Order: sequence, then C-alpha cells, then structure tokens
Amino acid sequence: MSALPRLSAIFLAAITTLVAVLLYSPLFVPIVSSFFTISHGNVDWSSPTLATYVALAENHDILAALRTTLIVGVCTVVLSVVSGTLLALYYHSRRSGRSLLQFIIFLPFLMPPIISGLALLIFFREIGLERSLLTVVIGHTVFVLAIVYRTVLMRLQSMSRTLVEASYDLGATGWQTFWRIILPNLSSAMVGGAILAFALSFDETMITILVTGTQSTLPVRLWAMMRLGFSPDINALVALILMFTVLLCVLAARFLIPRQVATERT
Amino acid sequence: MNQNTDLLTLRSVSKSYGTVPVLHDIDLSIRDGEFLTVLGPSGSGKTTVLRLIGGLEPLTSGEIRLDGQDISRMPINRRPFNTVFQDYALFPHLTVSGNVGYGLSVRHIQRKEIARRVAEALDLVQLGRFADRFPAQLSGGQRQRVALARALICQPRLILLDEPLAALDLELRRQMQVFLKSIQREIKTTFLFVTHDQEEAIGMADRICVMEAGHIRQLGTPHDLYYKPNCEFVARFFGENNLVAGKLGPIQGELRSIETALGRLVCSISNQPHLKAATDGASAYAAFRPEALHLADAKDTDNRFPGTISDMAFAGSSTVATITAGADNAAQRLRLRVPSRVDGSALKSGEAVSLSFAPHEGHLVLA
Repeated sequence: MSALPRLSAIFLAAITTLVAVLLYSPLFVPIVSSFFTISHGNVDWSSPTLATYVALAENHDILAALRTTLIVGVCTVVLSVVSGTLLALYYHSRRSGRSLLQFIIFLPFLMPPIISGLALLIFFREIGLERSLLTVVIGHTVFVLAIVYRTVLMRLQSMSRTLVEASYDLGATGWQTFWRIILPNLSSAMVGGAILAFALSFDETMITILVTGTQSTLPVRLWAMMRLGFSPDINALVALILMFTVLLCVLAARFLIPRQVATERT
Repeated sequence: MNQNTDLLTLRSVSKSYGTVPVLHDIDLSIRDGEFLTVLGPSGSGKTTVLRLIGGLEPLTSGEIRLDGQDISRMPINRRPFNTVFQDYALFPHLTVSGNVGYGLSVRHIQRKEIARRVAEALDLVQLGRFADRFPAQLSGGQRQRVALARALICQPRLILLDEPLAALDLELRRQMQVFLKSIQREIKTTFLFVTHDQEEAIGMADRICVMEAGHIRQLGTPHDLYYKPNCEFVARFFGENNLVAGKLGPIQGELRSIETALGRLVCSISNQPHLKAATDGASAYAAFRPEALHLADAKDTDNRFPGTISDMAFAGSSTVATITAGADNAAQRLRLRVPSRVDGSALKSGEAVSLSFAPHEGHLVLA
C-alpha cells in the first residue's frame, strides 16, 4: 500500500482535503461566528465576544425548551432501552413472528419522519389522546427504538451461547442466568444504545413538530426562531447543540467498540 | 469410589435433530471414578452424548440413569454434573474467582464459605495468584484451568469435558493432558472426556469409547482397542494399521487362518469368541500393526510374503517404510515401522524384501 507513487499520493491527499473542507467546513461557521457580534445580518469579525451566549442564557424560552428536551430525552431513553432490550431478547429466542417484528421495528426509522409523524398524529387524534409531552415521548420512542434494538441484538448475537449453557450447567435458574450473566454482558450495549437514542431524541424535529402540544423542544424552538429572523443567539445555540451531539457520539463509540480492543492490550 | 459400580447408564438412547438421527440406540455405562474418553471423528455424535448427559439437549428416546435413578427429564441445573466447554465459556464480566465461585453463589452459599472453597479450587489448578484477573487477561491454558476449577468446585459426581484441549498448541496440550489426569486422580471424580484426538485418548483414558456415525463401535481399555479392535472402523481409526481383506479359514486352537491376496495368513483369535463363531469363508480383514511387520528371517514360517519397498519416511524416533506387496492386480500397500538408527536405515527404497509378522501379533476383524 505504501508503494503508492509520490505524485498520486499528493493528489489523493489534495482531493481528500478538498472534500473534507467542502463537506464539513459549514459546520464550523456557526461555531466560530457564535463568538462574534452580528449587526444587520453580517458577522462583525473585529470584536470577539461571548455576548451571544449571555443572550442565550437569558432567553427563558430557550431554557424552557432545553428542559423540555431533556425530559423528553430521558423518558425516551428509558422507554426505548427497556422495550428495545425486551424485543431483542424476544427476537434472539427464535420464537415465531420474529422477522415481521424486526421489520416493524425498523420501519419508522427508515420511513421519512414526516410520514411517521403524520401517522402518529392521525393515530393520536383517532384514539383521543391530547397532544402533549407524552405524545412526543411516544413519537421519539417509536423512532429511536430501532437503534437500541439493533445495538442490543448485535451484542446478544455475538455473545457465545455456551455462556448461558454454562450458567445453567453450574446450577443457576433462568432468572439468575438473566440477571447475573445475560444482563451484565448486555449492559455496555444498552448504555451505548441509550446514548445514541438520547442524541437522536435531542435532535429530532419533524415528528416533534407534528405531535407536540404547547411545549416545544430545543430543535423546534430553533426552527421557530429561524422563522422570525436570524438572531445572534441562534449561532450560539447551534454551536452548543453541535458540541453536545459530538460529545454523545464519542461516548457512544466508547461503549459500543468491541471488548477485544481491551483484550489485546494484555 | 468403587470403579466396578456404575455411576451413570445410558439405555438405548437415541437423538435426532428434526428428522436427522445423530445417535442410534446407544448403551453405555460409566463406572464410578473412571476416566472415560469418548473418541470419534467429527460428526460421530460424541459431543451429543456429552450434551445429553449434561442435560443441554433433550433425549429423543431411551433413558439415562444415575445410581439407578432415571434422570432423563431432570433439568440441567439440577443434575450433579458440570461441564468444561470447548470454548471454556468463562463469564467475561466476572473475575477468575467470580467465575469459579459462580456455581456456589447461585446456590446461596455463604460468602465466607465460597471464598474458602474458591481459594482451594484455585490452588488445585495452580491459579491462586490470578484470582482477581478477568478471563480476557489470561492465556489459553490458564482459561482452561479456570474452567476446570469452576466445574469441580460444585463437587459434581461427573465432570464432562468437551474437547477442552482442542484450542491449545501441542506442547500445552501435552502438559494439560498430564495435568488433567493428575487432577482426576487427586479429586477421584469421574471424568467423561470427549475428543477426536486418539493420542489424547490413549494418554489419559482408563477406558475409551469409540464412536462412529452415531453408534458406539467399541468400548474398552486403550490396550484392548489397540490390540483387539472389533471392527474395521476401530482397526483403521485407532492407531496406524495394515488391513488386508480376505476370507476366513479354519481354526487352529487360538489361531485362525485367512486367505488373502498375500496368501494364507494366520492371526490370533484368543479371547474373541465372535471370531471363533464366524463361519468359514466369511469376509474379514487380517490386521497387523506397522511395528509388528518385519523383515522375515529363517525362523519365520507363518505369514511370510514378498514385497517391494516403495518409500522410506524418517519420523524421528522411528522410520516408516511403505511397501507394495502381493500380485500386481491385487497389490497391497503396507506400512512397516522400525526404530530409527543413527547410521541410517538398513532398508532401501526400491529394494525387494521378504516380510513377516508373528501370528500372535496379527488379529482379525470381520468386514
């Protein structure tokens, strides 16, 4: 591989850099510009400031939206981790209907969110459920369930079947085997899945707009702010959400990378 | 711990997966305190036997008796047996002592008692220093010993070992064979050891049960299996052997003749009534080990035939000659093993020789 001719190596590096800059630099613009003041829609590059962040911290609407987002996120995580793990265990136990079940779980994740959102909206109206944070949590859970389910199922499938057999063989009951062997071996996958679920719930906009009641989550709030015009604290908000999401992804990766990496060190 | 009493008995045990039969009517008795090896090629059903006894799979028919009591339907976690799995199946999230103590802690035994017995078991397998390590931090041989300690801590009546040495390299495998055997003597527990490696079987077993295609072909001491195989499969599978097909001839005391492409051969039938009972003209094989075959001299009058050395292979302590014997249209390939000599073998490739084996070193198997 290293025998790549020098010229083509330079060419490859140049292309890679160009693509990376074109694709990813827009992400950094709001972060950088959030540290400068904006007047008449233009960034004033001459005076760095934290004023936008101060403005953000004083914006009670934003803070309320943040609290809503966190409540929805936590509820979604709890619901999706519990049900995703149960569904993965059901699928893994090779009982009937597993393929259909898996298809249904993946459907909302693959469908356009606006379709999922509309379907939920119609459903909630039909059964007479008022739009509220509860409907948002349900919407988010339906959406992120596939991620948790998939993460847990993959860990379950990579777990040697003999672990469970060994546990029974040593005299454990089914209940003991579940709590002392299966669950501990799934825990890091469950934490990883939970973080991903939280990140997805945190950013979800389309379904939320359709099924929320009076309270709005952070992305929905951001959407509303954009419609009223571009204010400087939007930059700060985007920057914060970006950083938070990156942090979550790094965390999730730590829990989801196979254990073998740790093994090879020794 | 009387080796003459049966601990466990399998009576006409059959097992099928769907419509595919894997075990046919197995009868097997395991004696208390013995080291019994189940030997067979892959697909012979040997692991299935172990899984049925351990309770990991349900029987299709037949019964398993422990001390005379039917345990065929006893759930796996109530059988007084423990298994050492082929992949060890150590719990990755528990330390060595957590793994070893698992069987006690699920039975709600007091912590102090568990700690004491774990330390004892780890001492037995010489892993006392590794109590706080995780399985991922151990070598293959160490994991193997943790798996063994975990199985024997519950003081099972029977320890089931499913090809536990298969993943180890040759040197470590030899060490572990000696180690396993010494542990078995020390704790005086019955071992049922499954393997496809006949060298492993010979080295450790009190008795060997040879399986093929879901049937038990022969059960006996390693010595019996080597010198008195009861069928063609065992004769070929267990150790190197020369088999020459023929028709049985008359009996002369403890010997019986067989007409083969190499002429009339005479082989021992002592203590093998089924060979005495077989009718004249029945198809059979004369079987003789490569080390029993030798260059004929003047006093060899029986079992004498000419051959040509087609190849010589040096194999360390011994040298193996491949020999073509018999008429062209019925040529037999035979192997002859002689101790190696520092100045080279007296045998030369391409040489025509006269060969023989002593009648009491030859045996017969029915085809």
